[in-house]
Amino acid sequence: MFFCGQQPLNMFFLRVWVSASKQAVSRKLSVESVLTGCSRAASGLAADKEPLKKAKTPQGRFDVPEEKSKDVLEKFPDNINPVTKEKGGPRGPEPTRYGDWERRGRCVDF
Amino acid sequence: MASVRAASRLLSRRAISNIKAVPAAAVQNSRNFHFSIYGKKNNAKVSDDISTQYPVVDHEFDAVVVGAGGAGLRAAFGLSEAGFNTACVTKLFPTRSHTVAAQGGINAALGNMEDDDWRWHFYDTVKGSDWLGDQDAIHYMTEQAPAAVVELENFGMPFSRTEDGKIYQRAFGGQSLKYGKGGQAHRCCCVADRTGHSLLHTLYGRSLRYDTSYFVEYFALDLLMEDGQCKGVIALCMEDGSIHRFRSQNTVIATGGYGRTYFSCTSAHTSTGDGNAMVTRAGLPCQDLEFVQFHPTGIYGAGCLITEGCRGEGGILINSEGERFMERYAPNAKDLASRDVVSRSMTIEIREGRGVGPEKDHVYLQLHHLPPQQLAARLPGISETAMIFAGVDVTKEPIPVLPTVHYNMGGIPTNYKGQVIDYTDGKDRVVPGLYACGEAACASVHGANRLGANSLLDLVVFGRACALTIASEHKPGEKLSPLKPNAGEESVANMDKLRFANGSLRTSEIRLNMQKTMQNHAAVFRTGSVLKEGCDKMDDIYQTLDQIKTFDRGIVWNTDLVESLELQNLMLNAVQTIHSAEQRKESRGAHAREDFKVRVDEFDYSKPLQGQEKKPFEQHWRKHTLSYVDRKTGKVTLKYRPVIDRSLDEEDCAHVPPAIRSY
Repeated sequence: MFFCGQQPLNMFFLRVWVSASKQAVSRKLSVESVLTGCSRAASGLAADKEPLKKAKTPQGRFDVPEEKSKDVLEKFPDNINPVTKEKGGPRGPEPTRYGDWERRGRCVDF
Repeated sequence: MASVRAASRLLSRRAISNIKAVPAAAVQNSRNFHFSIYGKKNNAKVSDDISTQYPVVDHEFDAVVVGAGGAGLRAAFGLSEAGFNTACVTKLFPTRSHTVAAQGGINAALGNMEDDDWRWHFYDTVKGSDWLGDQDAIHYMTEQAPAAVVELENFGMPFSRTEDGKIYQRAFGGQSLKYGKGGQAHRCCCVADRTGHSLLHTLYGRSLRYDTSYFVEYFALDLLMEDGQCKGVIALCMEDGSIHRFRSQNTVIATGGYGRTYFSCTSAHTSTGDGNAMVTRAGLPCQDLEFVQFHPTGIYGAGCLITEGCRGEGGILINSEGERFMERYAPNAKDLASRDVVSRSMTIEIREGRGVGPEKDHVYLQLHHLPPQQLAARLPGISETAMIFAGVDVTKEPIPVLPTVHYNMGGIPTNYKGQVIDYTDGKDRVVPGLYACGEAACASVHGANRLGANSLLDLVVFGRACALTIASEHKPGEKLSPLKPNAGEESVANMDKLRFANGSLRTSEIRLNMQKTMQNHAAVFRTGSVLKEGCDKMDDIYQTLDQIKTFDRGIVWNTDLVESLELQNLMLNAVQTIHSAEQRKESRGAHAREDFKVRVDEFDYSKPLQGQEKKPFEQHWRKHTLSYVDRKTGKVTLKYRPVIDRSLDEEDCAHVPPAIRSY
């Protein structure tokens, strides 16, 4: 069957396979969530007094807002260079101030 | 549509994995070609005209572009826009080409910051090229520059703006007003700090609007030449090892430079001069390969350049004895001497044995004697750069640096229209069917030295020029001239030989030998004895290519094979570079020799011309070098071609007569 090389047939098989697997996954998820809900209700009032402690797994990490990583070259307010009034120009000091095009200590053109 | 192609690719790959060595005839029935385009007339045919070992697929197009960097993409979609059925054959995905690393700006005389005239840009470029640039090509480039930049901006490239909304221009790259007498000109347009990246993405996005066929990760092996006419390209599909012959009336080469012939260069590992080598193997010349632009302080190993601002802020260069050696070479300027003086001094120190490191092949740039806060304030980001690329803490240790290759001014000789030329019987002769643009071509706008921010301009102007020339001289759907059925079999035979090579030296060892030899002998410090020794060593290394050993015998994604093919290309470029440098007995632009320190022109321009006798062509050096290589023996033959001194329109823009170049 693979000798025919006709696009629609291959596409049909692929689509059928993809949709079948998608249905299987979504069914599995819905079953899981129902089960968790049941167990929480069953544990009783005592458990509701203290907040649930989540381990610092990758899932738990996103609950705490990450501090913004500081970049050495800061963005100008509104992206406009206050001295030259250039909009959308390079961040940080003027790249051509030493005669070559400098960026973060590297020379990229001269 | 992409998903359709992906689906067929998925299924075809599974089918093919069960088949070992397959004769071409059987392949036609058992696989889907992954390039099949839904709805389009599929005129690709499989044949076994040149090999029964490898499936060969023949394609027919109106135009083929080899290389998808800035110049290649501009040519490809310029041709598609004009209605040609175009194929773009590239060994890298278009947005991975080395153009993406060009972060500087692009020069154009738009006149947004002050009154400007493209004729002043023309003068600056001619002077920067040390009068080795062809003035008609420079006229063409600088006159088209404003239109080219405006066109890019119309394609959506987000240039930085002034308050009025016009494109912001800054001072950069030796540009002046009023033919050098009016002070600094502001001509450099940029996109924040990623102009090349933005250019490439803009061009790629724009090219998807037209129906160019992209053949990504296809390594172009050779040109298909017949009777001196270029009739197409033969390429290896890296993904499945099939050979593809692209037949077309028009072939454009835009494969970039060849920085990787040297040990230290800023270029990507893929800058291997494939286009120059393909043209050399076709028996055509390469022009001015000895002009290679260096920068003194490139990080050892990584190849990134450290800005001159480090030395401007007080950084010093020291050798193995801890001595500030620049005091001996330039007692007044010391470390702030001009770039070529600093590069030469560093090289002399290394040659005399005062280099640092286990192989004593570089020097140190010391910054830790400066107060760290001052360093961070004046040069923000340098400590991260030094840590990432050199692994040193810039406040405690010095940075290892050595002179590094940045750009190749030389390449495939073309006229101002982008057509490849050969010089026979004292005249330029156009090679039918072949065009070149970008860093691979030598138009020649950069001459002996390239000015900053001119190379991105070169890419777009000449990419467009190739497309326009082809559109004006040919029509889409033209009948292809006949091609011998076995065209390209030497390329396949060579590839097969490399795939099963079982000599004594690995590809990486031969490559390292070549790179070290070029760095020691054909770098910044050039004198007769050093170059002669280098030429002999390079000739020997060229012969060792016969003893190459590869390990991967497969055909699917064989990077060992592709690296070996690239090494063959690099080797051709390297021998031409060093032989051309050895023969040129003068100092001009980037080619500076210790034994011949002055420029040798037809007149001595440092004195008044009255009463001087014009030197004959053989005795002066204001001429282009054309180099040919005999592929089997590795012997380099050199010819010379005069520089074109007339501009395209003498009334509109008079040519610039040669003078002494001083800034």
